[in-house]
Amino acid sequence: MTASETLTASLEDYMEAIFHIIAEKHAVKPRDIARRLKVSYASVTGALRSLADKKMINYTPYDLITLTETGEAAAKDVVRRHEVLKDFFVEVLGVRDADADNAACRMEHSIPKVLVDRFVKFVEFVETCPRGGDKWIKGFMYQCDNKGPQENCEKCISTCLDEVRGHMRRGGAKTMETSKLKDLKPGQKCKVLKVRGRSEANRRVLEMGVTPGSVIELERVAPLGDPIDIKVKGYHLSLRKDEAEGIDVEII
Amino acid sequence: MKSKITVALAGNPNSGKTTIFNNLTGARQHVGNYPGVTVEKKEGFCEYEGREIRIVDLPGTYSLTAYSAEELVARNFIVDEKPNVVVDIIDSSNLERNLYLAVQLMEIGLPLVLVFNMSDEVRERGYEFDIERFSQFFNAPVVKTVGHKGEGMDELMEKIIAAASRRGESRDQLVVNYGAEVEEEIKKIMSMLKEHFRMTDRYGTRWLALKLLENDRDVWEKVNSGEINGQVEKSAARIEKMLGEHPETVIAGGRYGFISGACQEAVRSTIEIRHTISDRIDSVITNRILGIPIFLGLMYLVFALTFTLGDPPMGWIEGLFKWFGDVVRGWWPEGSGSLIRSLLVDGIIGGAGGVIVFLPNILLLFFAIAILEDSGYMARAAFIMDRLMHKIGLHGKSFIPMLVGFGCSVPAIMATRTLENGRDRLVTMLVVPLMSCGARLPIYALIIPAFFPQVWHAPMLWIIYVIGILLAILSAKVLRSTIFRGESIPFVMELPPYRMPTFRGVLTHMWQRGWLYLKKAGTIILSISILLWAMTTFPGLPDEDSGRFEKEKQSVQTSMVDEKERSARIAAIDDARKEAELRTSIAGRIGHALEPVLKPMGFDWKIGTALIGAFAAKEVFVAQMGIVYSVGEADEGSKTLREKLKDSYSSLVGFCIMLFCLISAPCMATIAITRRESNSWGWALFQLAGLTVLAWVITVIIYQTGSMLGIGI
Repeated sequence: MTASETLTASLEDYMEAIFHIIAEKHAVKPRDIARRLKVSYASVTGALRSLADKKMINYTPYDLITLTETGEAAAKDVVRRHEVLKDFFVEVLGVRDADADNAACRMEHSIPKVLVDRFVKFVEFVETCPRGGDKWIKGFMYQCDNKGPQENCEKCISTCLDEVRGHMRRGGAKTMETSKLKDLKPGQKCKVLKVRGRSEANRRVLEMGVTPGSVIELERVAPLGDPIDIKVKGYHLSLRKDEAEGIDVEII
Repeated sequence: MKSKITVALAGNPNSGKTTIFNNLTGARQHVGNYPGVTVEKKEGFCEYEGREIRIVDLPGTYSLTAYSAEELVARNFIVDEKPNVVVDIIDSSNLERNLYLAVQLMEIGLPLVLVFNMSDEVRERGYEFDIERFSQFFNAPVVKTVGHKGEGMDELMEKIIAAASRRGESRDQLVVNYGAEVEEEIKKIMSMLKEHFRMTDRYGTRWLALKLLENDRDVWEKVNSGEINGQVEKSAARIEKMLGEHPETVIAGGRYGFISGACQEAVRSTIEIRHTISDRIDSVITNRILGIPIFLGLMYLVFALTFTLGDPPMGWIEGLFKWFGDVVRGWWPEGSGSLIRSLLVDGIIGGAGGVIVFLPNILLLFFAIAILEDSGYMARAAFIMDRLMHKIGLHGKSFIPMLVGFGCSVPAIMATRTLENGRDRLVTMLVVPLMSCGARLPIYALIIPAFFPQVWHAPMLWIIYVIGILLAILSAKVLRSTIFRGESIPFVMELPPYRMPTFRGVLTHMWQRGWLYLKKAGTIILSISILLWAMTTFPGLPDEDSGRFEKEKQSVQTSMVDEKERSARIAAIDDARKEAELRTSIAGRIGHALEPVLKPMGFDWKIGTALIGAFAAKEVFVAQMGIVYSVGEADEGSKTLREKLKDSYSSLVGFCIMLFCLISAPCMATIAITRRESNSWGWALFQLAGLTVLAWVITVIIYQTGSMLGIGI
């Protein structure tokens, strides 16, 4: 039986508040707790006394409050449950921040550890599995807003399959070396690191959306070997190889 | 009476701007040029709820830096003429890139209306826009339209009227926050500007400061103050040191950051489709192996459509004008020497025929070009050919005008319109006449069989064409490294998604080009034809000579020979009379006067006179040679003319004639169209003089070396 399970919901709220205040200010006064939880000063002292009884905090009136070792573990546990739930609500269900916070506050006290762990694993799974990911969740949100499933399921699945295959072809691992845009092979994707030089071509390239941080894909090379066709911000842009000379990228 | 509203239509190329412009203004359009540049100025008028609205279609641009003539024109119009409303047409299927211009327009601070065009395409692709949100982010009303279906036009008009009554936002409003470091430098430059630059009211201080940091040449020149320049340089150096990027990189990054933030909030994509239909088409059309054959095939089609399909209507037009000329000729009694008749028939009707005869070619060529452009293939053609064309200092898109030049220089020069950059356009325009056009073929067809044995016919023709191509390449290189020196123009170019061209769009385009040709080039061609007519007619034969011909004719008519013999003799006298007329005409006299210049090329005054006639149209050379050799109406198949030529000249001279006709002064229609397209007589005359001098030098060298070595004498 963990320490936190011996605490009531309201006491857990107190532990959470103390934990956050310590993180922010290093010292906790009952007045800060009262303000944070929007309760009266009297109820704070009552709660503090009962927490001290349970050996969660070191509390003597008119002195600073600190967490005991068990207390800290218990507080971290509560905070973690809160974070996990909130993450799930925001990242997966796409609920607004404030709503997610509220709901997490109420649910954190009753949710068993097994379920919390599963939630964590599920969020991780959605983020890494090629069938899930960002787009999958966006699709879900679209459905929530538009009351109805999407029709282009087949296309979506094939896109996702393409990406997995592309990733495998490139060795499955990320290389973190700087290369030149013009040295990319068709089908390779990269992230722009730097655009060197102040020539007209460079300025034009920037204005067309090849700014540092943007992701571009080399689509093809012209039949005569020059120029190249890249995809940036969803459209195709062609430029000569010597114009791509000053663009440093990182292959992804 | 409410005041007139001026609306500027801005937008990226391929955003459907022209379609919306056509929708709004209908037929009430006016096409002209901006002063001093080759950029086209389109204006239209319409009325909405009793208010007169003037709409100016700015050239399509991606940005508003002073990067190209188009951008400068668009920017100067907005900044200097201050339209009441700026409408930015945005291709919603390519939102982020298109919004870059919108951010720049916001920074200028005039009332702005954003048009999300092609919104149907976007819905199909599974995107959802939150129009309200966009409207908030960009502080401007947003209208969704579908240009080619005419959807959303009424709403757009309403929003324009509403925006016109709104006063411009405060000029120095903060649109994009470029980060503490940059903002600090902007503030420094702004305070310097307020102190040292008088025109801040006109441009807005913040805008000027940003442009200076972006290293904008035009604004640098405008400001041109030592103190400010020093501050800008210091600021740029500071930004570079702190952020490790040039200011223009940081500023472009800031704008795109703002845009992607807005898009994240206001755009929902259900899924990302990586392979659109357009991508799949591209994987075939710009394929490494298939790309070039497909390109060549399409070019062949364009050429065949323009010249093969254009040939019969050209014949009809020629026939029609000949018939009309004969009708008019019939108003006078047979054999009348009336000057008015000659002016009407040979000068005016002949000249007008010479203008209209090009129309089928021009309409068909622009029909083909409109399809290539509207479908998005033109950009691919440039993509495929650029390597080759870049080597001679031209742009990938120069290929099409050069190719069309083999048919006729007039539509070819008009086709240079597809080149966005002024320098590329001018170089292409100037060298296009070196591509041997169809009108020169009769000259070769007359001369080659006259001077060369059968086995040499084909190789000779081939040599002439190749010389033209090589000279065009060489001239382009020379022009590029002399008059048009400078950094080669970036090829950075959008490959727009393939789209189905609309019938109406293609027809409008075709019609506009044809009309422009008739109106602008037609008048020049007509006046030069009349001038040439006068040169070959005046001052006419002296009285004693014409009396002599009359007497001879009479003596033949009364002589005792049979009918056949008599008409042959009369024809011979007529031919001799024509020859005498031409010899004494201004053209003939100029031909004589030019002899010292013609001599080094091995030409005599006869060739000189024929060359002056060839300025009307190259093929006229053959007819003129017929007249000066008194063989009557001659064409390129005339055996007698060939024999006379062979008797008079060596085969070296024959080759020199072809060479000179290939390179020298293109016909007047070419000069007229160059004047029209370059918007300057200077370039037209430069082309005329430059090519003639080049022809002279080359022909002299060939003739003199040939004579010295004893080849072909």
